[in-house]
Amino acid sequence: MSRKRRDYKSTFYSRIENFVNGKEQFLIYRESKKTDVEKFESLEEELTEAADLLEMREELQWMRDHTEPLDFLKRFHRLYGVIAVLVCFTMMVLLLVTVSWLPRFGNADNPANNEVIKRYIEKGEEETGAVNIVTGLILNYRGFDTMGETHVLFIAASCVMILLLIAEGEEKRAGYAFDRYLEPKNDIIIQKVAAFLVPMVFVLGIYVILNGHLSPGGGFSGGAIIGAGLIMYVSAYGFHKTERFFNEHVYKVAKVSALCFYVCCLSYYFYMGAHGYDNHISLGTPGNIISSGLILFINIFVGTEVACTMYAFYALFRKGGLE
Amino acid sequence: MEWVRFIAAAICLIFAAVMECIAVFGVYKFRFVMNRMHSAAIGDTMGLMLGALGLMLLKGSRWFSYKMVLVVVLLWMTSTISSHVIMRMEYNIDQKAVEEETGGR
Repeated sequence: MSRKRRDYKSTFYSRIENFVNGKEQFLIYRESKKTDVEKFESLEEELTEAADLLEMREELQWMRDHTEPLDFLKRFHRLYGVIAVLVCFTMMVLLLVTVSWLPRFGNADNPANNEVIKRYIEKGEEETGAVNIVTGLILNYRGFDTMGETHVLFIAASCVMILLLIAEGEEKRAGYAFDRYLEPKNDIIIQKVAAFLVPMVFVLGIYVILNGHLSPGGGFSGGAIIGAGLIMYVSAYGFHKTERFFNEHVYKVAKVSALCFYVCCLSYYFYMGAHGYDNHISLGTPGNIISSGLILFINIFVGTEVACTMYAFYALFRKGGLE
Repeated sequence: MEWVRFIAAAICLIFAAVMECIAVFGVYKFRFVMNRMHSAAIGDTMGLMLGALGLMLLKGSRWFSYKMVLVVVLLWMTSTISSHVIMRMEYNIDQKAVEEETGGR
């Protein structure tokens, strides 16, 4: 019943090797069953498959030559456990001490209970035009903070790219050859369900983004929903079909232009606010879809940014590149 | 009539709780991944459906009830699909363990 924990390096390679060997045996078996006419007709296909097999064997040899022994990982894991417990315990004690110094919850004299909250609740809808006070708060009153968060997302995606993006060459070929080895390929069940669910997920994400200033939601949550829909589409249909509408070029253009437009919108707010000018953009009727000035557009830009980042993380971790 | 509805809803909710308990128990009791997935799926399908049915009976015919139907439909789709993908992956990467467990059938 119980399975021993095996050395994962050796299991991984033996699995890939089994896969390649099995494929070779299958080809030989199929070849032996065929008549001469069939052999002649499917010659081209056979040649392609044989070439694929040869390439896989080359990748396997390459991977075997270019990996280092993982013995140091075992020592590292032992140390890691001890240090993790120590760090967690220290953090726990620090947080408990800090909490013990905080004022009582709900006390009327607390420093958090001041005129700022009163202003947000009483004048939020009138000043920002957003029925959802939270959206008006994070995209208008505290827009600087949210702009920083969006930049953090951009920098995080850039860092993951620096670490995981694979350059052209042998490594990239190896990544492609074994991209779907562990995952089901062309699984009809997932494809049928994805064909039904993905459009619904996209529509829900767009609804959440466009209604960000009217109902709970906004750019971050809607973008996360659209990113999840993209990931579902990829896992059902593979990267080849996704690249027809979302490749590295689209990713770059969408992400950078969304961030630039977002910064432009907020710069307008900062400039007008810092100089004490009036806002000349009409706020519209609170409750309508097109209202609340720039908040709707900022939501759309943030949503694009978040959706791109989510999908890029998935693609980078899975195969080390967007195309 | 109110009482009948309440009792039916209560029975549904109690059975849902029992199903969830069985699911959790199975996930911790079994060692082999496919057995564990089987018992986890009980909570996601049967437990969820009974819980939603109980809540719908309590609330009567309102928008809330129709939303619950949608929740059940969507979760039945996604949870079973994710179980299917995990199972297929387990079969792909660890055929030896699967054969040991099933006796080569």
